Amino acid sequence: MLSFLDEPRVLHGIYVLGSLTLFFIGLYGLLAKRHLLKILISIAVMELAVYLLFIGLATSPGETAPILSDGLQGFVGMADPVPQALTLTAIVIGLAVLGLGISLAVQYHRLTGKADVAGLTELKDV
Amino acid sequence: MTMPLTPVWFIALPLLLAFASPLWVRLRLLMPLLVGTPAALLALALGLLPAVRTAPLLETIVIAPPLGIHLQLDSASWLLVALINFAGVVVGAFLWLGETEPYLRERRAFILILLLIAGCNGMVLTGDLFNLYVFLEIAGVSAYALSALRRDAPALEAGLKYLIIGSVAAIFFLFAVVLIYLQTGNLSLAAVARGFSEIPGPMQMLIGLLMLIGLGIKTELFPFNFWVPDIYQGSHPAVASLYSGILVKAFLFVLFHLVFLFLADPGVAGAWLMGLGAITMLVAETVALRQEDLRRMLAYSSLGQIGLITLALGFGVESTTAGGLFHMVNHTLVKLLLFLTAAILLRSFVSARIADFAGAGRARPLAGALFVLGALAVMGLPPLSGFASKLWILKGFAEAGVFWPVALILLAALIEAGYYFRWIKVLYEPRTEVAIEPSEGRWAYLPIGVVAGLIVLLGVAPFLVDDLFIEGARSLLDRTATLVAVLGAGS
Repeated sequence: MLSFLDEPRVLHGIYVLGSLTLFFIGLYGLLAKRHLLKILISIAVMELAVYLLFIGLATSPGETAPILSDGLQGFVGMADPVPQALTLTAIVIGLAVLGLGISLAVQYHRLTGKADVAGLTELKDV
Repeated sequence: MTMPLTPVWFIALPLLLAFASPLWVRLRLLMPLLVGTPAALLALALGLLPAVRTAPLLETIVIAPPLGIHLQLDSASWLLVALINFAGVVVGAFLWLGETEPYLRERRAFILILLLIAGCNGMVLTGDLFNLYVFLEIAGVSAYALSALRRDAPALEAGLKYLIIGSVAAIFFLFAVVLIYLQTGNLSLAAVARGFSEIPGPMQMLIGLLMLIGLGIKTELFPFNFWVPDIYQGSHPAVASLYSGILVKAFLFVLFHLVFLFLADPGVAGAWLMGLGAITMLVAETVALRQEDLRRMLAYSSLGQIGLITLALGFGVESTTAGGLFHMVNHTLVKLLLFLTAAILLRSFVSARIADFAGAGRARPLAGALFVLGALAVMGLPPLSGFASKLWILKGFAEAGVFWPVALILLAALIEAGYYFRWIKVLYEPRTEVAIEPSEGRWAYLPIGVVAGLIVLLGVAPFLVDDLFIEGARSLLDRTATLVAVLGAGS
């Protein structure tokens, strides 16, 4: 009964809706939340939405992993490996940036006791 | 085994040396290498120049076709690569010779500066969208960490702000890259450029908008530049000179490279960018008028000049583009001069507020004189280089019969004169007691002096380099030549 979900058009539609929702949740968090860690997490959520969109739209139901084994000899009916390689790279970069951001936030908190972006007021127009 | 001298060294050499840094600490080679690496790359760039002028150098590092890393060194990217490495030499020499704060002379700063140079070189050279994203993040992460290196509250705040806004920019850019790949199935810039016109119109708009947000934040265009003065104020002036001098310039190049390459008719996008550039220039120059902090004033002045460059490049005519590229080089020289002089003044006078600078030019005559020279060059007074490039841009607009940018550029120059003379006046104000600190390391003036010499030389004899910028403008604007060079004549 739910086999219509396997149609690429339906499936890709769901992926687009889901990942865009996730993207806007992240954007909302970025703009509305004030705690530094929550802002960094919102950025991570936005990034994740972009990865999901990429992976989701680049593959269609029925495609296999792009590995030549188990009697598979030709590149037929395989998923495009490029988006997956790119997403892996992007995840690594995203993790590094997130790590740096959190370590800066922790140091800032230790130094000043503040964790609120509204409290970042050392540098401002006079 | 021979090592062919190809463009890949511009990225590989700083990366390799940065990651081998524990060895250099042990051998006490840290500071010589910080200067030597960009110097070697600058020499390599100069060595490759004759070849680049005849035909763009293309290099493909292949894992297995059609996958591969693609680098392209043409006349336009050569200018940027030479500029980036020259700025690297100057800042490195300043950190080495001047008695800079210890945290900028350690291993961490060494690694981050080399990574920043590698990232900028990579962004300018790469012929592939995803590599562009990777280099953008390399340059970005090293810049965030450089800002926060001092580890006091203002520095950490600058680092955090930079990291948050920079990551958001990178996400928007990545989103655009993802959409381009899903639409065209390609990441190579040339292949995407060939297929870009077949993407449906609304999708083109969306991609353009995402790119504009991502790169607009990175290139510090209005209205995405509210964060810039905070970062420049919180970072060490030598680090700020790297941001203003090479990081923004690399992003500006990337922005216009993509616009001119992807769009068969860049007229509409160019007009938008010209508008943004004009607003950036006017808003930044006006706000700079009432800045009380030297570093913030320089940051706003830098934004104003970036607006001017955007205005010139966005017009998309050979003469304004050549003038814009020339102004890019001049602005880097001037901002290196001003920020490094600011670093010397700040060290002696502790605070950067305008009231505390009264008489600073009398106590530090050499630094004061250099600051005045830089200020005059920004305003575009003859015989300094700012005059030559502004004149070139104005002539380009006048020849095309478009006069509103001419009026705006002259107005901006007037406002600039207003606030720079305010600072110069304060610098030479008579003051009874001027605290004379123990004498500075005289050697710190050497790299600044070299930059000052270049500013005067380029102002007196701009004809020495004219051809380079005209060739650069041609290769930046000539989309077909790039496509033919990369994809072959059949495309």
